[in-house]
Amino acid sequence: MILLDRWFEGMTRGLARRSGRRSFLARLGLGLVGGAAVPLLPVARAAQDPARAGAAPENIDGPAGDPQDCEYWRYCAIDGLLCSCCGGSHTSCPPGTEMAPVTWVGTCRNPADGKDYIISYNDCCGKTFCGRCFCNRNEGERPAYHWYRNNDINWCYGTKSQIYHCSVAVVLGVAVEGQPEK
Amino acid sequence: MRAELRRLLLAVWCVSLIGAPAVAEVSPRHDYVLHCSGCHRADGTGAPDDIPSLIGIDRFLRSPEGRAYLIRAPGVAQAPVSDERLAALMNWVVVEFGADAPSPGYTAVEVGVWRARPLRDPTELRARLLASDAPSDEPR
Repeated sequence: MILLDRWFEGMTRGLARRSGRRSFLARLGLGLVGGAAVPLLPVARAAQDPARAGAAPENIDGPAGDPQDCEYWRYCAIDGLLCSCCGGSHTSCPPGTEMAPVTWVGTCRNPADGKDYIISYNDCCGKTFCGRCFCNRNEGERPAYHWYRNNDINWCYGTKSQIYHCSVAVVLGVAVEGQPEK
Repeated sequence: MRAELRRLLLAVWCVSLIGAPAVAEVSPRHDYVLHCSGCHRADGTGAPDDIPSLIGIDRFLRSPEGRAYLIRAPGVAQAPVSDERLAALMNWVVVEFGADAPSPGYTAVEVGVWRARPLRDPTELRARLLASDAPSDEPR
């Protein structure tokens, strides 16, 4: 602490000897105002807005990058059958099924960039249980009384048929923060 | 002297950054997508018979009871965000899916009061509020 104290004293005394107060105050003021303004600049803010967010990086090696594997990064809270094993993909329903517009929404971290993304687990409905690639990860899932973060209930709302077939995981955008239940 | 001054200014600048909000600003649209859109959908239309539509939501602001209802409704009151963020979210929702902004806008204090008073029967209250409104342009 004494060394730190001496270093600060030396620096400020030296500065006082060699500079005028007015110029110092002018520069100090500039630094304060400039520093305070930096967080207000619109730098990269657009990327945080889900409506303007770009696609999530998918260049991931191993199971976390495979949409037909339960460990695929988007499936962190999934409880169901992967549409990518049932004739559809991780973002589209198999033929003959209808994607439910009402969904379970949460966040998953993408290992490619370390960011959280908002994920929508839409169920595909209208055909009987697909029966392939059952996954049950449930990260951030909550009991049935916390309905909008529960994946045990049938999410075939808003569709012609309430028969569950499989689930997809659609990226809705970048999450500024992970869902609070994690 | 210039090098020392630069160092001092750099230190001041760093301190001013620490004073700035540590958490990135969260937009109401972000909170809507994460906490509301799963049920009410991105376009606010919901699902007939299951999830109420938000289109024309500003009509609830015509009465004090309706204004409180929009905050006391279960999905709103229980949304996992602070009173400040919920107030910003609802001010955004009303404009996004309605016509007129709340006047005055919701504040964190008002939101905190209403969300602490759960509704025993939100469906009944919603029906009553809509029945007392103009029948010609009710939201679905």
